[in-house]
Amino acid sequence: MSDTRATAGVGGAHWAWWTVAGFAALVAWSAHGTRVDVGALLGAEGLGQMTAYVAGLFPPDVSPPTLRDAALGAFETFAISFVGSVLAVGLGFSLALVASRTVLYRGILYAGERLAPAGRAGRIGIYALARGSLNALRTIPEILWALIFVFIVGLGPFAGVLALGVHTAGVLGKLFAEVIEDIDPRPIEALQATGASRLAIIVYGILPQAAPQFLSYALYRWEVNIRAAAVMGFVGAGGLGQRIHVAISLFHEHQLLTLLLAIYVIVTVVDALSAYLRARLL
Amino acid sequence: MVLAISLREAGVDPRLLVQSDAVGNAARFVRGMFPPALGVDFLGLLVRPVIETIQISLMGTTIAVVIGFPLGLLATASLMWRGALHERTPVARRALLGGVPYGLARALLSVFRAIPEYVWAFMFVRAVGLGPFPAVLALGVAYGGMLGKVYSEILEGVDSRPIEALRAAGASRAAIVLYGLVPSALPHLVSYTLYRWECAIRAAAILGFVGAGGIGQQLALSMRMFQFDEVLTELAVLFALVAAVDFVSGRIRGRLV
Amino acid sequence: MYALSDVRKVFGNDAPALDGVSLTVGRGEHVAFIGPSGAGKTTLFRLLNLTLRPTAGVLLIDGVDVAALDGAGLRRARRRIGTIYQQHNLVGRLRVVHNVLAGNLGRWSLSTAVASLMRPRAADAARALEQVGIPEKLWARTDELSGGQQQRVAIARVLLQDPDVILADEPVSSVDPSLALTIVTLLRDLSHQSRKTLLVNLHSVELALGYFPRIVGVREGRIAFDLAPDEVTPELLGALYAGHSDATRQLDRIHDGIGSYGTACRPLPGFSK
Repeated sequence: MSDTRATAGVGGAHWAWWTVAGFAALVAWSAHGTRVDVGALLGAEGLGQMTAYVAGLFPPDVSPPTLRDAALGAFETFAISFVGSVLAVGLGFSLALVASRTVLYRGILYAGERLAPAGRAGRIGIYALARGSLNALRTIPEILWALIFVFIVGLGPFAGVLALGVHTAGVLGKLFAEVIEDIDPRPIEALQATGASRLAIIVYGILPQAAPQFLSYALYRWEVNIRAAAVMGFVGAGGLGQRIHVAISLFHEHQLLTLLLAIYVIVTVVDALSAYLRARLL
Repeated sequence: MVLAISLREAGVDPRLLVQSDAVGNAARFVRGMFPPALGVDFLGLLVRPVIETIQISLMGTTIAVVIGFPLGLLATASLMWRGALHERTPVARRALLGGVPYGLARALLSVFRAIPEYVWAFMFVRAVGLGPFPAVLALGVAYGGMLGKVYSEILEGVDSRPIEALRAAGASRAAIVLYGLVPSALPHLVSYTLYRWECAIRAAAILGFVGAGGIGQQLALSMRMFQFDEVLTELAVLFALVAAVDFVSGRIRGRLV
Repeated sequence: MYALSDVRKVFGNDAPALDGVSLTVGRGEHVAFIGPSGAGKTTLFRLLNLTLRPTAGVLLIDGVDVAALDGAGLRRARRRIGTIYQQHNLVGRLRVVHNVLAGNLGRWSLSTAVASLMRPRAADAARALEQVGIPEKLWARTDELSGGQQQRVAIARVLLQDPDVILADEPVSSVDPSLALTIVTLLRDLSHQSRKTLLVNLHSVELALGYFPRIVGVREGRIAFDLAPDEVTPELLGALYAGHSDATRQLDRIHDGIGSYGTACRPLPGFSK
């Protein structure tokens, strides 16, 4: 790798060499710190263990109860990801509106009107608050949200839905706000010149322009969320994760493989669905 | 329709959110976070996990590259069996030496990335025990799958003319990869890898929830012990860490592309 | 209708875009504004349609000082002013019918506006499109239309808005000459029928002199002259466009008398043939 890195000439060979050397040192330091033992892992014993473990998974358990359980789990996981994503779009969009400066206090919508200083300060405050909450929602990982919601509403898939919804709302809200601040202001100016209220301008001018990108981001997050929904169960928030947790803990290897296959199938289905919708709608 | 069924299936019940013990629990949680835990002992306790999280993300990304790069090469159609490089290869040879490894690599990559890193981590905890090592392996495998796929897409998109020129000069396939393909794709490859590293630091933080080391393990511990003041501090640390990595990676990527 | 006195508009720390502009426009008047690009005509129009507010000076609409209007009052005032833009300023992703009906937004409640996106009152939009000559485009997607067609949609939107004043800011700069003539006559006839005030900002001196009874020349943010077309001399025009690249082209055309608009333009006094 190192010689090709240098020949690419990223900012001069000198710089590249130092980066590579520094990077190698960092990796060595990390390997030491994480107690990575490649020898043991790839040695005869390690490899043997791995092979034995993987071989032990086969054949998958295809007895009707396990299959039914896996199907139910897959369906529940799908439901969690779907409802969670829908919730995130709603919540994220509402927050994005008040996290967009061009909607609240500046840009073309406010060029013709003098906001009272107090009103303007209030709006800037709302904006800062919205941005802050989006950051907070985004920073807390889904799995921690899941723990929090299990604590609040109890075990079950609903906690998973809330966790996905809230975390993803933070991600989508920020992206949506960027889209809103970026749209072509000229149609907005024209709508405003007809005397339209700001809400009407949002519905007629901002939403139609932003919708394709909103949709594209939402589909992308749905693909992320189906994977996240599959692990929510580890903390008791329903779906396949819960069943996988049990299977691993109780050494039910054959069931584990069936459940892993179920994850594979449901993730692939959602990816395909999302790609189809993207091609269809955009 | 789908939404209605999903709502039922996911057990969505907004009443649960407003019932008295839900509100009480939420209030307890929020009240419990303040004031955040800032004792010197506790902060000292966080230093190691923070370092460990960084190390996990670095090592995990490194392993992901080690797994993803060769598989990505094998999963590149233009390299394996299609296009200018293979016009004169006999069909049977093309299928056997190109098509079969290509298919296998694609399948492997797709399995690696379809299973969430969190599940990988749990399985590796079972296999190699608690600690940062299973987290590294989990990141390596799951992100190896993602990197491999994206690498192959990047390599697929490389301008084919210089490669044909190398081919015409009689270069071997390894030489073509080394001198034609990789250098022209390198900025994109490195840039995407760095982006994955940004994701890896977030992932490294949550893998601790299954006992795989790092700040996440502390976070899960505090959460299970209902020490919400510690949770707030740990979240702040996590936020700072993620922001710092985004900043560093963003700077490097800015220089690259 | 409009009374401006000593209006000034400054953006940031730049030199004033408009300075010392005083002007009155009566109800039902047709006025053309001409001048080199960058003279401040567009800024003037954005002040007149209340999208911008003056930095200094007084702008009265029917005797009401716009500086005193609050948000709701501003919206009520804007409802009576229809604007047509050079770039059409339509929402490209919406169908034509919605862009036309958007003229109603100043009157509609939010719920009516949302309902209209689902089930538009197509008959109203169809009538307006009939008037501008493209009834068949009712359900087309707006960004699939040609520039001229989009400008007609924009005019139909203003027809639905049914304002007292129509402001057209360079409405024909992005269409070919024969279409430009059609659109200008369309605007003139439509506002004549319904006794609307019409202010047009024109790139083409020829069109302005040929079709409007009052010509206002704008240069470097100030009003250079405000005259009837037969009082506009070649010397005045020369001074108006002096130092600008399009000056010679504009003037030559008029001197030669072979403008792109053919014989439709009446011969202008003061120009030697």
